[in-house]
Amino acid sequence: MKNVALISLSCLLLSSCSGVQSVLDTAGKDASVLAHLFWVLLVGAIVLWLLMNGLFFYVTRIEPRELSRRAAEALVIGGGIVFPFILLAGLIAYALSIMPDQRAAGDGVVVRVTGEQWWWRVEYDLGDGSAPIVSANEIRLPVDHRTEIKLGANKVIHSFWVPALAGKMDMFPGRETRMAVEPEKTGIFRGQCAEFCGESHALMAFQTVVLEQDEFEQWLERERQDAVQPTEAVPRQGEQLFVSEGCGACHTIRGTEAQGNLGPDLTHVGSRKSLGAGILPPTAEAFSNWTRHTGAIKPGVKMPSFAHLSDRQIEALGQYLEALK
Amino acid sequence: MAKNRENEEVRTFAEEADSLWLITFACSIWAIHFVVCYGAAAFVCAKWSSNPAVITNMRVGLGIISVLALCAVSYIGWRSWVQWDFLDDYDYEHDLAKEEHRHEFLGHASFLLSVISFIGVIYVSLPILFLETCQ
Amino acid sequence: MTQSTQNRESSSSGVATYPPTEQMLEEKIDKRTQEKTADRLRKAWETPKGWRYWSAVNNSEVGVWYSLTAFFFMMCAGVLALLMRVQLAVPENDFLSADTFNQFFTMHGSAMMFLFAVPMFEAISILVLPALLGARDMPFPRLSAYGYWCFLIGGIFVMGSILFGVAPNSGWFMYPPLATKAEGVGSDIWLLGLSFIEVASIAAAVELIVGVLKCRPPGMRINLMPLYGWYVLVVGGMILFAFPPLIAGDFLFELERSFDWPFFDPERGGDPMLWQHLFWIFGHPEVYIVFLPSIAIAAMVVPTVAQRPIVGYSWIVLSAVGTGFLSFGLWVHHMFTTGLPSISLGFFTAASEAVVIPTGIQLFAFVATLMVGRVKLNLPMLYIAGALAIFTAGGLTGVMLALAPFDWQVHDTYFVVAHLHYTLFGGMVFPLIAGIYYFYPFFTKKQMSVRLGKIAFWLLFTGFHIAFLPMHLTGLMGMPRRVYTYPSTLGWDWLNMISTVGAFIVAVGFLVFTYDLLRPKGKQPYTPRNPYNAGTLEWSHNIPDEAWGSRSIPYITSRYPLWDQEKIVERMDAGRYYLADAPEGKRETLITTVLDAKPIQVMRVTGPAWITICAAIFTGGAFIFPTFHWYPPAIVSGILAIACVLYWLWTSTAPIPEQKTKDAGLGLNLPIYASGPASAGWWGVWITMLGDSTAFASLIFGFFFYWTAKENFVPSGSDFVLASYLVLGVLSFAVTWATLVGARALNRRGSTKTARNLLLVSALFTIAGTALFCLSVVNSGLEPTSHVYPAIIWAIMVWTVVHTAVGLIMLGYCIAGATFGKLTPEHDADLCNVTLYWHFIIITVVVASLVIGLLPRLL
Repeated sequence: MKNVALISLSCLLLSSCSGVQSVLDTAGKDASVLAHLFWVLLVGAIVLWLLMNGLFFYVTRIEPRELSRRAAEALVIGGGIVFPFILLAGLIAYALSIMPDQRAAGDGVVVRVTGEQWWWRVEYDLGDGSAPIVSANEIRLPVDHRTEIKLGANKVIHSFWVPALAGKMDMFPGRETRMAVEPEKTGIFRGQCAEFCGESHALMAFQTVVLEQDEFEQWLERERQDAVQPTEAVPRQGEQLFVSEGCGACHTIRGTEAQGNLGPDLTHVGSRKSLGAGILPPTAEAFSNWTRHTGAIKPGVKMPSFAHLSDRQIEALGQYLEALK
Repeated sequence: MAKNRENEEVRTFAEEADSLWLITFACSIWAIHFVVCYGAAAFVCAKWSSNPAVITNMRVGLGIISVLALCAVSYIGWRSWVQWDFLDDYDYEHDLAKEEHRHEFLGHASFLLSVISFIGVIYVSLPILFLETCQ
Repeated sequence: MTQSTQNRESSSSGVATYPPTEQMLEEKIDKRTQEKTADRLRKAWETPKGWRYWSAVNNSEVGVWYSLTAFFFMMCAGVLALLMRVQLAVPENDFLSADTFNQFFTMHGSAMMFLFAVPMFEAISILVLPALLGARDMPFPRLSAYGYWCFLIGGIFVMGSILFGVAPNSGWFMYPPLATKAEGVGSDIWLLGLSFIEVASIAAAVELIVGVLKCRPPGMRINLMPLYGWYVLVVGGMILFAFPPLIAGDFLFELERSFDWPFFDPERGGDPMLWQHLFWIFGHPEVYIVFLPSIAIAAMVVPTVAQRPIVGYSWIVLSAVGTGFLSFGLWVHHMFTTGLPSISLGFFTAASEAVVIPTGIQLFAFVATLMVGRVKLNLPMLYIAGALAIFTAGGLTGVMLALAPFDWQVHDTYFVVAHLHYTLFGGMVFPLIAGIYYFYPFFTKKQMSVRLGKIAFWLLFTGFHIAFLPMHLTGLMGMPRRVYTYPSTLGWDWLNMISTVGAFIVAVGFLVFTYDLLRPKGKQPYTPRNPYNAGTLEWSHNIPDEAWGSRSIPYITSRYPLWDQEKIVERMDAGRYYLADAPEGKRETLITTVLDAKPIQVMRVTGPAWITICAAIFTGGAFIFPTFHWYPPAIVSGILAIACVLYWLWTSTAPIPEQKTKDAGLGLNLPIYASGPASAGWWGVWITMLGDSTAFASLIFGFFFYWTAKENFVPSGSDFVLASYLVLGVLSFAVTWATLVGARALNRRGSTKTARNLLLVSALFTIAGTALFCLSVVNSGLEPTSHVYPAIIWAIMVWTVVHTAVGLIMLGYCIAGATFGKLTPEHDADLCNVTLYWHFIIITVVVASLVIGLLPRLL
């Protein structure tokens, strides 16, 4: 039963590793080293499982001739000590030897990510003494370049994990941890918080967008700019509502009065690939929906729902935010 | 006469009390070695992580400690091998209600634990060989 | 094992009459004497009838309650799991709210670990251990009963919270700051409720260790002990060293929750990592605490099935002891992603792989045993085979996870969920069910259905794989643990649906098993006495059941006495061995030496009592009221609990016997009273204090941890503990200790009056020392809420003075004993035990004062 299941499992593995958040469908150097490690381990584990259980089946069902106690003792020494000693020593050496590369530092832009309940504060530190570029809930990285990521948390522990790029690293309040990623492919890869962080832990995700080096630099330059002023009437009404409803107490939109720091920076929120920390599509409707039903969409979230606004007002707000490219 | 016999009993018993502890010696050496390695690494990495010289010194120091630990485990192993006294009767079952069997059983168990502890110390020393920094 | 122990042990065992000769054992006993003595024995061990039944303390009653209660909690936790599986069956489901889901997974884990796995081991051991050792009962029956009632009250309190929607919701690992900052009483219920149960677990562990070391039948040398006994010894020892760090952690945690002492608050110098260390120093050995007893069941079943002695008895002992040690070097593999230096991770990767070796040896020893024997497959063996198939898979994924880099990817994903359920089902649930089938005829003298057993097996086995095998892949595809919902775009949908279907198949399997377990079997004829032709002593049980455990306590010369010692059962039944009679109508069992099991004492054990239930209720109050910050009733409860325990000790422990020695049978005359290392109570205190010292060491570890991990520990310009008070305090305790040791010596020499006066001096100096110790911190200006440095100093001070206060109560008990004639030169067990306690306390005091008084000045 079990054997069949294991074999079919490996078939499934081969066919279904196309998810955007998979350990096996890799897009980064560190992750591909680990995926390789996994396949080696998996083959070894299946072989050993079959040997051990085959032996057990053989002794209980096939009923071989009785073994002498001396031979039995030899079986225990060989199977229980000598063989595992050599095998495990090899495994430990293998694992230890890949650790230094996994932990190697990156250079260039430093991305500083802070875990909040339940979203990600993201800052790009160019290392030239200029103020960091603040963003949220999305990380953009240059391809074929090792980028250093510094991690922290506000209040509770989170864990930063983009399976396609690298292993995870926990984020602590009051303690800085670090890692580095080296994407080998452009594309969008999903990441998610991996350490239980409270009520809406399940709803704390983000997209990682890997760009070509020059595209990345252009994007960074755009991201540094202040928000674009809406020109059309409806979004402009949305902008006024943003001010009058006091959204600026928590959110920052650079270039406007909104300078709050409790919630995500929204300066270029319309250009992001998702909304609400990786849980909604980046459409005007989704913006409206979110503003009206915050607590229902993300239980325990601090942002109040603005259900008292009229449909028209909500729509205007949504259009304004969506236009913040 | 009776008194004499009783004294002798006391003496063998005292020896046996030691050999019950003997079972735990090899593993304890592993445990101490482990704690020293972990403690030293945690301490050095917390206080001097940016100083490669200190880390190298620590690795050399831990290497020496590992060798010492292996020697100590070997000594325990040798003592228990003597107590097991396998080569006199090739007995490894020790299932009779005899003082000798109890004595040899404790030696045997302790010898096997020395083997495990020896392997354990070797394994725990591997990171000292392979990892050069605190990162 | 001191010199004096050996003197006492050898001098008190008769030389001429022990060991018994074949001739002595051959001697016939006439029928009338047999019946007369059997009646007296039956009367002494009679289980109370009617509503008084609940005052029973006998291991066979307490063990049954204990195991059924643990089984009930497992079913509750299983229902939670099913509800969670329903929620996860489809993406974006709203069957459960986020908060309810979080409460459910927290309670599922907590209940399975604290209310099922560990108590179940203790329950089964309480049930079978005395029988395996041919003993009458556990050495401290009332302590088992007390432990059970504590477990029941605490379990209902913790489990019941889910019905009111206020259960803990921060995960069974309760990581701060999430759990410390959690609103509501959930975290407090977890901390206080489970601490309460942990104390009961430690009590049971102490009793089991003493049982194995001191209550073996005469002649059962340490090399003849059933393997189950070895496992109990190792697991008991592990509980003793693994639970205390968690208790120390709980102590700090609750101080933070209740009084805002910032141990885990980074803003005031605290560090959430300390909790993770303390929790996992407990948490990983816990896995083996759960696993080893189940292997122990396999070690009983396998030789019976093979009809041959186990191959490599020494090998299995080695692997049990080795696993016990190594399991303490693995805890950081739960913290591989916390950014610790890679060299530290390397040590834990290495140790985690090393532990595979003893585990592998165990499995190979079983295979070898089956290979030398002629296998007769039976139902328990089917479950053991299933367990092996599941456990090896879980073990192999364990080998993968132990490699730090691989763990960086799959840590906290469903891969780990799959791994841990594979190890726990294979290493705990299946062997446990095998054990229940195997021992069922022993427990109830009836049999369970083989047909239903097979149906249940295949449901459980296939359902298990359907539920958990896909989870490996779910995890690899990136699904984290502890998420109450997931989007449908990531390819996790069908995998989760399959797992949910599997979970329900497992549930049906459990229903079939439970039905078979509990269905009335009144009409069924009694089972044969030794249905599997097993070789160990428990199968000499009486059919129909008798409460005395063993008609007479046999003399043992083999690992498998029922196979090798002809006529042993017949002779036991005839009362030909030891303690076949109870002329004084008292419950008695034999105490033997640790290594060679020479009989040295006839110990009177306690009988039915209500006081244990009262003590448990008030202890419960002392733990439960603080959950709601109701401190006055908590304090009253605590005082009443202490009063109950004192009453219980005063009226029933180590009573002065009416005669010095008694005839234990076969011409052996043994003392009834023992004190110091010869007595079981002394061992109990010694072992308990070992655990207590471990908890204290964990607090001290906390101090060093802050010093290592924090830049500015001992912040510059901080106040120090007042040296003058502290030094005077330590000196006072030194006087306490010295006068106490003096009092014990004088009492033994017959100067009871002087001894009592010295005890009074001792008590006065304890009061002075406690006061000075408190004042040295209270008057120092250190404000525990301001920073972690004063907080840890306060915590160490509180820990120390609580212990000295308990020491004061003990001194008072001895003074009362000396006054009312309970403490005499020959009967000084209480004084010996209190002195032993104070040996530990004086070390605690010295270490505590060095750490809080001297170290901050040096650093």
